[in-house]
Amino acid sequence: MSSIYNFKKIAPVPEAGDFLDIVLSKTQRKTPTVVHPGYKITRIRQFYMRKVKFTQETFDEKLHQILTEFPVLDNVHPFYADLMNVLYDKDHYKLALGQLNTAKHLIDSVGKDYVRLLKFGDSLYRCKQLKRAALGRMATVMKRQKDSLSYLEQVRQHLARLPSIDPNTRTLIVCGYPNVGKSSFMNKVTRADVDVQPYAFTTKSLFVGHMDYKYLRWQVIDTPGILDHPLEERNTIEMQSITALAHLRASVLFFIDLSEQCGYTIQDQISLFHSIKPLFANKPTLLVMSKTDVCTIDNVRPEERQMVEDAVTDGVSLCQLSSYHETGITETRDLACDRLLQQRVEMKLKGNKISGVLNRINVAQPGRRDTVERPAHIPEAVLRRRQQQQNGAAGDGDDDDETMGRMLERDLEVEGGGAGVYNVDLKKRYMLASDEWKYDVIPEIIDGKNVADFIDPDIEEKLAELEREEEKLAAEGLYDSPEESMDEEEERIRDTARRIRQRKQIIAQTSHINDVNRAKLTTKAKAAVSTTEDFSEHLQRLGLNPSLADETAQRAGRKRGRSESRDPAVKMARSSSLAARAVSVIRDRSVMGLKDERSRVATEKSKSMSMRRMNLMARAGEADRAIQSKKPKHLFTGKRSIGSNDRR
Amino acid sequence: MPQNEYIEESIRRHGRRMDHAERKRKREARQVHKDAEFAQKVHGLKAKLYNKKRHSEKIQMKKTLKMHDEKNAKQKTDDAVPEGAVPAYLLDREGQQRAKVLSNMLKQKRKEKAGKWNVPLPKVRGIAEDEMFKVVKTGKSKSKAWKRMVTKPTFVGDGFTRKPPKYERFIRPMALRYKKANVTHPELKATFQLPIIGVKKNPQSPMYTQLGVLTKGTIIEVNVAELGLVTTGGKVLWGKYAQITNNPENDGCINALLLV
Repeated sequence: MSSIYNFKKIAPVPEAGDFLDIVLSKTQRKTPTVVHPGYKITRIRQFYMRKVKFTQETFDEKLHQILTEFPVLDNVHPFYADLMNVLYDKDHYKLALGQLNTAKHLIDSVGKDYVRLLKFGDSLYRCKQLKRAALGRMATVMKRQKDSLSYLEQVRQHLARLPSIDPNTRTLIVCGYPNVGKSSFMNKVTRADVDVQPYAFTTKSLFVGHMDYKYLRWQVIDTPGILDHPLEERNTIEMQSITALAHLRASVLFFIDLSEQCGYTIQDQISLFHSIKPLFANKPTLLVMSKTDVCTIDNVRPEERQMVEDAVTDGVSLCQLSSYHETGITETRDLACDRLLQQRVEMKLKGNKISGVLNRINVAQPGRRDTVERPAHIPEAVLRRRQQQQNGAAGDGDDDDETMGRMLERDLEVEGGGAGVYNVDLKKRYMLASDEWKYDVIPEIIDGKNVADFIDPDIEEKLAELEREEEKLAAEGLYDSPEESMDEEEERIRDTARRIRQRKQIIAQTSHINDVNRAKLTTKAKAAVSTTEDFSEHLQRLGLNPSLADETAQRAGRKRGRSESRDPAVKMARSSSLAARAVSVIRDRSVMGLKDERSRVATEKSKSMSMRRMNLMARAGEADRAIQSKKPKHLFTGKRSIGSNDRR
Repeated sequence: MPQNEYIEESIRRHGRRMDHAERKRKREARQVHKDAEFAQKVHGLKAKLYNKKRHSEKIQMKKTLKMHDEKNAKQKTDDAVPEGAVPAYLLDREGQQRAKVLSNMLKQKRKEKAGKWNVPLPKVRGIAEDEMFKVVKTGKSKSKAWKRMVTKPTFVGDGFTRKPPKYERFIRPMALRYKKANVTHPELKATFQLPIIGVKKNPQSPMYTQLGVLTKGTIIEVNVAELGLVTTGGKVLWGKYAQITNNPENDGCINALLLV
């Protein structure tokens, strides 16, 4: 639950001199800086107009930011509005903001005027002078706001440090004469850590602290002491208290010091109570008598006692506390909180919002179904224990306490030296065959073996059991594989099926290779790749005799011989197959000019050796693509006065 | 102390560190060196601003020093002879006078000398017509060039109506028309913003006077009713002459000196 009013976000307000530096250097940074008399006059004018306009806009923007960020007194909660009035003087505040607003308008009009004059500037000098005059006048306007700016900066710093009081939440306000123990009480109920000193007006401003009660967050406001005099004579410090009392719907704790150690008589304190009573109207009020360690209501003079009792009318309750002895603090706090809470609930019930919630709330109460009694189930052990407690018997258990029935771990801890000292006994509840073993020390490793590996006591037994089962299963023949029994017919079918599968696989692979989408080998390359073996194999598969084809192919690779020396059969075949060759035979150029296989291998090897280093270092070789010159001189030299460089 | 002033609260509770005073003194002593170093290192606009600041500080310091010197310096005077019987050991003492009086006298003399001329700005820069007027081309094909636009600030009377624009030779733009001048009274040393009544004389040319052009050195008549000046006869003055002392076209305002 955070406060709605956060004044911490207001940007710092620079002093007048810094303000000027900020704006002018921004102009210098963000507008062009180079202009020459040789430029066209329109360009020169535009250059200076831009400067003037930019400066004016920057001033405008900065002032606007200040004007919007500072809270408008009419728009904040009356508590804050009044507090600001007390602390900073409403008139002064409004005046400062008003002057800034006027300055903003003045600067705007200066900017407008000079831009208009610049339109008639006929030389660079004149334009520059006009710009100079314009900026100078803006600066003068700003310099006159020196006091307003420094005042607003102070206000900002102070505002940012105001305690964040939420005016609408549950609040306790502590008030009373100076030095009656308000801050001491505050320190007791919250963690605010307010300064407490034995002199009057130690607390000079509002302090806020937070506490929890009934799972709700409460804020406690410590106020400066109030003296009993008319409102007009009150100073700023007192007025802060009055503001808090007047505007916050809270529970009021009015402190009186019966011992009169504070330096004010009981009579004074009671008369103050009566004079500021109008501020307590409709608020739960507590008359708190502090410092009861020194003096209580019974010790004071009867007439003073009478006065105090007279002050307690309806709506006002009486409490006693001593911050020194810490007595009565919680009671006072609880009473104040309860009364405020009750009042807030009543207010909510009266309001019109509640009906929207109430008609959605339904408390269902089931009716009786039949006459059967269905009581809550209470375990017998619990019943027995209850019985024992009622009887007051210490019980038969050895861990029983006379108050709680039994010794708890918590009690043991207290006995054993409290938290941090006491070690919880984890072994106590081990379930072992013999209680004597509970605290036995078990070594982790014995004879180089991990004890945990041998922890199973009946491992032998289990192993024997397993083996027996295995034997039994083996005897039953679970693991015997069935006899091979395949006749001739089945074998043949299987063989065929295997071959069909193989063939299918090959077809699939070939079709994959011939897929149109893949990069294909050219016909030439294909011809080079296919061998005579492939061909003869193919013929064999088709059931033809490949011998003749083999012969022909062999001859093709051989040196040409004399025609007389050839086998006549071959000669015949050749003459019959003299039909034109579809494709000329391609020779592998990499092996051309090499004498034999050995030299080919040697060449291959030396080639790969020479390329090895290059490949290892991933160097660009001479075969890699390279751009020799990225910016060829002939394409980039020369003037380009007009037109493009397409002509090059 | 308000709740959220953490720093002050901490100082109040725990005090400052032991060597706080020493550190502070040292930091202050170091500051001058740091400033000097910064002044040498800084450049650009920042340098300009910074040097200006330092310069003005220095001048202020020198002035203060000088003022103290002036106060303390003692000079001989002949006339201030001690009165009555003087002991022998004081006989050769001469009267003394503070230097301050002398410097005041010098100032007075200078002022009198300055008052010799009857017009504050006796000489003016000549302004050629082509600087004063801009040629406005007219006609359907912009071939005629007989129109002129006045590019200097002007004063036009209250009841001024333009001639029919078609035949108007001299255009005096609205943006450059002025009604008020910042007039300084040389004896009162005070400046007032006064309405202009008319242009008495523009030293450049009688034509400019006619057109009401306001340039440096122009004599204008201003309404001094609000100053409450009276003649020796007891009549209330309301119109007085003043001379323009700045270049209105460069400054965007008219500053004038009242001729008394």
